[in-house]
Amino acid sequence: MKMVAPALLAAVASAQIVLSRTVDLTAWKGGGFGMFATLDHAGYRGVDIVVDAPDRSETLQVPASLEVAVARAAACPADRALRAVAEAVVARERRQQRPVSRVTLTFWRADFDRATLHGSERSVRTFVYDAP
Amino acid sequence: MPMRTIALRELAFTGDGGLSVRADAVDVRTGKPEPQPSRSAGRARDVALSLTAVALLLRPMGPWFVRPAILAVAVLMILSPAMLRSAAAWGAIAVLVAIRIGDDWPLADNHVYLLGYWALAIALSLRTAGDEAGLAFSSRWLIGLAFVFAVLWKAVLSPDFLDGRFFRVTLLTDPRFGGAAQLIGGLSRQQLEANRKALQLLPAGAELLEPPAIAEPARLRLLAMAATWGIVALESAVAFAMLLPAATIRSTFRHALLLLFCGTTYLFAPVAGFGWLLLAMGAAQLDDTQVGWRRAYVAAFLVVIFYGEVPWADLTLAARWG
Repeated sequence: MKMVAPALLAAVASAQIVLSRTVDLTAWKGGGFGMFATLDHAGYRGVDIVVDAPDRSETLQVPASLEVAVARAAACPADRALRAVAEAVVARERRQQRPVSRVTLTFWRADFDRATLHGSERSVRTFVYDAP
Repeated sequence: MPMRTIALRELAFTGDGGLSVRADAVDVRTGKPEPQPSRSAGRARDVALSLTAVALLLRPMGPWFVRPAILAVAVLMILSPAMLRSAAAWGAIAVLVAIRIGDDWPLADNHVYLLGYWALAIALSLRTAGDEAGLAFSSRWLIGLAFVFAVLWKAVLSPDFLDGRFFRVTLLTDPRFGGAAQLIGGLSRQQLEANRKALQLLPAGAELLEPPAIAEPARLRLLAMAATWGIVALESAVAFAMLLPAATIRSTFRHALLLLFCGTTYLFAPVAGFGWLLLAMGAAQLDDTQVGWRRAYVAAFLVVIFYGEVPWADLTLAARWG
């Protein structure tokens, strides 16, 4: 029984490495103990939101009500997390009587130059959600 | 002439939380304790469990349907030795921590996972009376594996750690490390602010014609490289010390390394909760004869509280520059 907990740790941490390689899960999260190992963390990852509708194409600042959902999607930009953000955006826009037919989410992260340290955003994934 | 023994009696908590009289054999001629077949670790284990319960109270975690239950169980553990030694109570903590992790996956910090494994290990060990050795074994493996994965990420899987970029950028941009960058790295406040502006991210595809220069004094570069290689070396040493068979390495070495790691890392790293957990787990590897180490772990636990609560870097900078 004394190996149960260590075995669980090893299994989760191994799965975290697989997820980081397959769906861009950040090294800092997910139980893999990759914190303080890379600049690829919440401060240098994000999701840009663009809302489209007839006569409308607008980039949204992340509203407070969506911060947690966006943080989840930025930490692990899998389809499920991005769809959750898109659906929440559609619901919010409609609550506020604004038209929305499509939500485009762009997941980006930052690269830092090895010599100068200057950083720039790099788009990694675009997710398009057509509102029903 | 055969050795004559008598029993010394000492009050001690029993497994059900009451008091009992414990007897130890003593040679009446020399007054020294007789050699015992195995060392007890009940007292050391209780200290480790108490420190874990205190850590639960110091950093309340989780959503409303988890947080009060964790706090309530932790309070009862502090108040009642029976609760402290209840496998069901620690099992409940493990389940609550798992719910907390699942509720906002993947945003939970890594030490929350470690806390869940640790609570599970405690619960399983408490199901067998007197299984302090099993808990010590789980503790060594949990710490060892956590450090193996931490080193794996830093040394193999991350492209920007060993070349120094992580600490160079972090020291300049993360406000939590600003004090160290100024005190040890030799940056002025103005340089730090200018660097932060210069390191603001550019949008994808954008490029500045004349990118601003970054001020990096030699001391700051040295600090970044020392932090980079120092943490890899220290984490590797802790991993080896924990995972090597207990018979091949002195326990003194393991405890010294773990205390050194906690005493240095959490002076800068803003994750006191991780430090408390490691110290509680380290204390679980002691037996009851290692009183000095037990006190050292408790002292280190208190020191990490002060690390987290006292803005020592800001106070030092204010004293230096007014």
